[in-house]
Amino acid sequence: MSAVSSPAPQASSGARARTINRIVIYGLLALFAIFYLMPLFVMLVTSFKTMDEIQNGNMLSLPHAPTFAPWIKAWSEVCSGLTCVGMKGYFWNSIKMVVPAVLISTLLGALNGYVLTKWRFRGHILVFAMMLFACFIPFQSVLLPMATILGSLGRFGVTLQNATGFNFGLGNSTVNLVFVHVVYGLGFTTLFFRNYYEAFPTELVKAAQVDGASFFQIFRRIMLPNSLPIIVVTVIYQFTNIWNDFLFASAYAGSGDVMPMTVALNNVVNTSTGVVEYNVNMAAAMIAALPTLIVYVVAGRYFVRGLMAGAVKG
Amino acid sequence: MAFLEIDGLKKRFGNVEILKGIDVELEKGGFLVLVGPSGCGKSTLLNTIAGLEQITEGEIRVEGRAINDLHPSKRDIAMVFQSYALYPNMTVAGNIAFGMEMRGVPAAERQKAIDKVAKILQIGHLLKRKPSQLSGGQRQRVAMGRALVRDPKLFLFDEPLSNLDAKLRVDMRIEIKRLHATTGTTIVYVTHDQIEAMTLATKIAVMRDGEVQQFGTPAEIYNNPTNIFVADFMGSPAMNLVPATIGGNGSGLSVVLKPDARAAISLPLANAPAGLSAFKEKPVIFGVRPEALTDPEGAERNASNIATADCHIEVIEPAGSDTFAVTNLGGKAVVARLRADAKIQPGTVTPLAFNLTKAVFFDPATEKRIL
Amino acid sequence: MSTVAETQIKLTPEHDARPGASVRSRLQDLLPKIVLAPSFAATIIFVYGFILWTIYLSFTNSKTFPSYAITGGRAYQRLWRWTFESDPPSSWYTSITNMGIFGFLYIAICLALGLFLAILLDQKIRGEGVLRPIYLYPMALSFIVTGVAWKWFLDPGLGLEQTLHQWGWTSFHFDWIKNKDFVIYTVVIAGVWQASGFVMAMFLAGLRGIDGEIMKAAQIDGASTFQLYRRIVIPLLRPVFLSAFIVLAHLAIKSYDLVVALTSGGPGGSAWLPSNFMYEFTFKRNEMAVGSASAVIMLMTITAIIVPYLYSELREKSR
Repeated sequence: MSAVSSPAPQASSGARARTINRIVIYGLLALFAIFYLMPLFVMLVTSFKTMDEIQNGNMLSLPHAPTFAPWIKAWSEVCSGLTCVGMKGYFWNSIKMVVPAVLISTLLGALNGYVLTKWRFRGHILVFAMMLFACFIPFQSVLLPMATILGSLGRFGVTLQNATGFNFGLGNSTVNLVFVHVVYGLGFTTLFFRNYYEAFPTELVKAAQVDGASFFQIFRRIMLPNSLPIIVVTVIYQFTNIWNDFLFASAYAGSGDVMPMTVALNNVVNTSTGVVEYNVNMAAAMIAALPTLIVYVVAGRYFVRGLMAGAVKG
Repeated sequence: MAFLEIDGLKKRFGNVEILKGIDVELEKGGFLVLVGPSGCGKSTLLNTIAGLEQITEGEIRVEGRAINDLHPSKRDIAMVFQSYALYPNMTVAGNIAFGMEMRGVPAAERQKAIDKVAKILQIGHLLKRKPSQLSGGQRQRVAMGRALVRDPKLFLFDEPLSNLDAKLRVDMRIEIKRLHATTGTTIVYVTHDQIEAMTLATKIAVMRDGEVQQFGTPAEIYNNPTNIFVADFMGSPAMNLVPATIGGNGSGLSVVLKPDARAAISLPLANAPAGLSAFKEKPVIFGVRPEALTDPEGAERNASNIATADCHIEVIEPAGSDTFAVTNLGGKAVVARLRADAKIQPGTVTPLAFNLTKAVFFDPATEKRIL
Repeated sequence: MSTVAETQIKLTPEHDARPGASVRSRLQDLLPKIVLAPSFAATIIFVYGFILWTIYLSFTNSKTFPSYAITGGRAYQRLWRWTFESDPPSSWYTSITNMGIFGFLYIAICLALGLFLAILLDQKIRGEGVLRPIYLYPMALSFIVTGVAWKWFLDPGLGLEQTLHQWGWTSFHFDWIKNKDFVIYTVVIAGVWQASGFVMAMFLAGLRGIDGEIMKAAQIDGASTFQLYRRIVIPLLRPVFLSAFIVLAHLAIKSYDLVVALTSGGPGGSAWLPSNFMYEFTFKRNEMAVGSASAVIMLMTITAIIVPYLYSELREKSR
């Protein structure tokens, strides 16, 4: 309508302004894309270069003769402190910690969310608020007591070991970290599921009650099968958070062969014996980053939703 | 002994009393409609019958047996929900059979029951679909199927038609009525739609603020409302409730209405209720339904007490089957229901016939019917 | 009548006799609470109990090991004294001034950049599906990885400076990561790099949630694009600003890993944040009471921000 009525020259100058406008917008967007991609790009190309090329070449140039040697060394030989066995052991440490911690905290979060929305009792808001606040505390404020408790449990584990020949996982740092991550992840998982189940029709629960389903039958047959989106969100969120954690890992499994990936990577990078092999460091960093990056690439949409669920009203 | 008896039922949430002593009973095969505005407690009452909410005081009995401490699944009831509450992760067949599965009914028997219900409701072709693949009407049928398959003592319906569009609602209403007629089950039905209440019920309980205002057959509720609230709530268009005074000349009483800026109208009452003489020269609320206020030619011929008065017609609403004329009496808009072809013009003064045999009077102080 | 019925029922078990049913149904009634109890108990003990424990420790003179004799607020007195010890700066002074600089710049730049990128991306951009994940992926990385990557990128001898020298800009000088006065700004850069894409995503979701008819109405009212954003859109995004602020503020106060990985604490601890201060004093310098006191102060700061927010959020929800 307006295009028809406005005179031709004006229309073309408007079109030119619009074109310039678009170029500026796309230019800015591209510039920022470079800003965000640059460190990853540098990390990636460096991990495929030889030390020679790194010292004499340009940080941004592609490797002349790409080599997997740094990756292989990072995986199986690189030194963390004085032990030179590569990242692979620490990688598995992280996996052994992440998988149970994610599964347990997600399941508990789902049950808590179910109770807090569909089986409300007096004071349910207070209970939820107290669990929610736990998401925001600086973990420094619980770091020391937890260290003390884990220490005593470890000593108790040794006693048990001597008495029964089995320590029931007490004193095992993987078990400790699983426990810590479950406890301090509960607030988040409960929040996710509570917000999701808040919008979940209560009539379905009532219908199932009339149909004779019990508390757990309703959870297993009605709630869980309809919770896939929030399960994905929670699992991704917890996986990323626990995999990336450094504070708890360094406080409770900060040395020896029990370290998770993040602590090991930090040690590798800061190991000052001999020549610093940047290509190996970068390969090690990439190995540490890959699991979460893959999750992000595969399920980025859910990842974002998970991050925002913590802040935006559900 | 009635089939369903609700006795002095009270329900409190903290200090708030949601249901303030409900007494209702229903014969076997009856159709009880709980009707009232939102927040009147009708859904809560239904939920307490279902066992989805605990009661604070009183008793609910089915066939003389108290059920108020039983788990919902032990009460031998079935319920159709407003949103239908179909389990989204199960097929239609799975939805219908879930209750039987929970009770451990063998698969073969479940299949037989599903087929039977599917036949009654004509949903055989939908059995393998998920609820998300069904239309609103189909979901409604499946929800009824899930209830039917249990063959319960008591059916509970919680506003089952309110999510359907107008036409489908009428169809499903007839369907429910037919189902009731053919199966002879006992039904408790919650709605805020008074037309549903009138058309479906054998008994109606009109509720407000956690109390039953009136309990009776649809005809009783419609013709003999016990108070202003019931009179106003039931019927569409609503009953005209006009402030008036009672005049008297010797033995006979009359009702005096004040049209805007015109001389008062006095209508002689031939068979006034006995209690009305106490209100001589006092204000009352005069209630007359639109169909009892017509053009003189359209007035009911064998009514014993018809009075005619000139009224100023403000608005005409032709509705196809009828024509509604709006006039003003006692400061309130009053609707008269005329024949579709009535010759009437807005802005004119036209005689209207008041069928006073159908008129009711209320005490403005207590809002109760004057009998 | 009803008593007769009841007696009958009591005798027939398949009718779910009342006494038995009430025990079982009471168990059913309690079940939800039983299920929730372990999580709630864990929260009470391991969050609130431990916080109290930490507060207790901050009033003792614990050094390497916890000691449980209350010795008063000496740890707080020391922190208070260090708060004003700026020349030479005490590590606490450095930590809290760094917190101020880092917190302010990190939050302000993330909000501004996030909003800016979200508005750009909202201009019906072709390739939005490609750009969005590029802006956002850093959030998936560990702070340690981010730190390692930026440490390399900002290293004067290897990274950006060296590259620009090779390209001929030999006068370019950028050694903030080795400079004790500027090292905290490199933490800001890496922090912004990591979180701004996420803030962008929040704003983008907010922008997409704005009713299109409001925008149309404003355009018909003759608002220019700039006015449209300044007068209509940005005020409507207020709740997103609040949410993003809360997320960023608590990330900022919790930041610990990034400082460690990027700067190893900086020259002479010049990049420390209170979280690093706490960790170092507790586990390395054997000043447990001081470490605990600093943790308590961090907690108080976050509480002051979070509690009003949670209170208003939950009150709104319960309504």
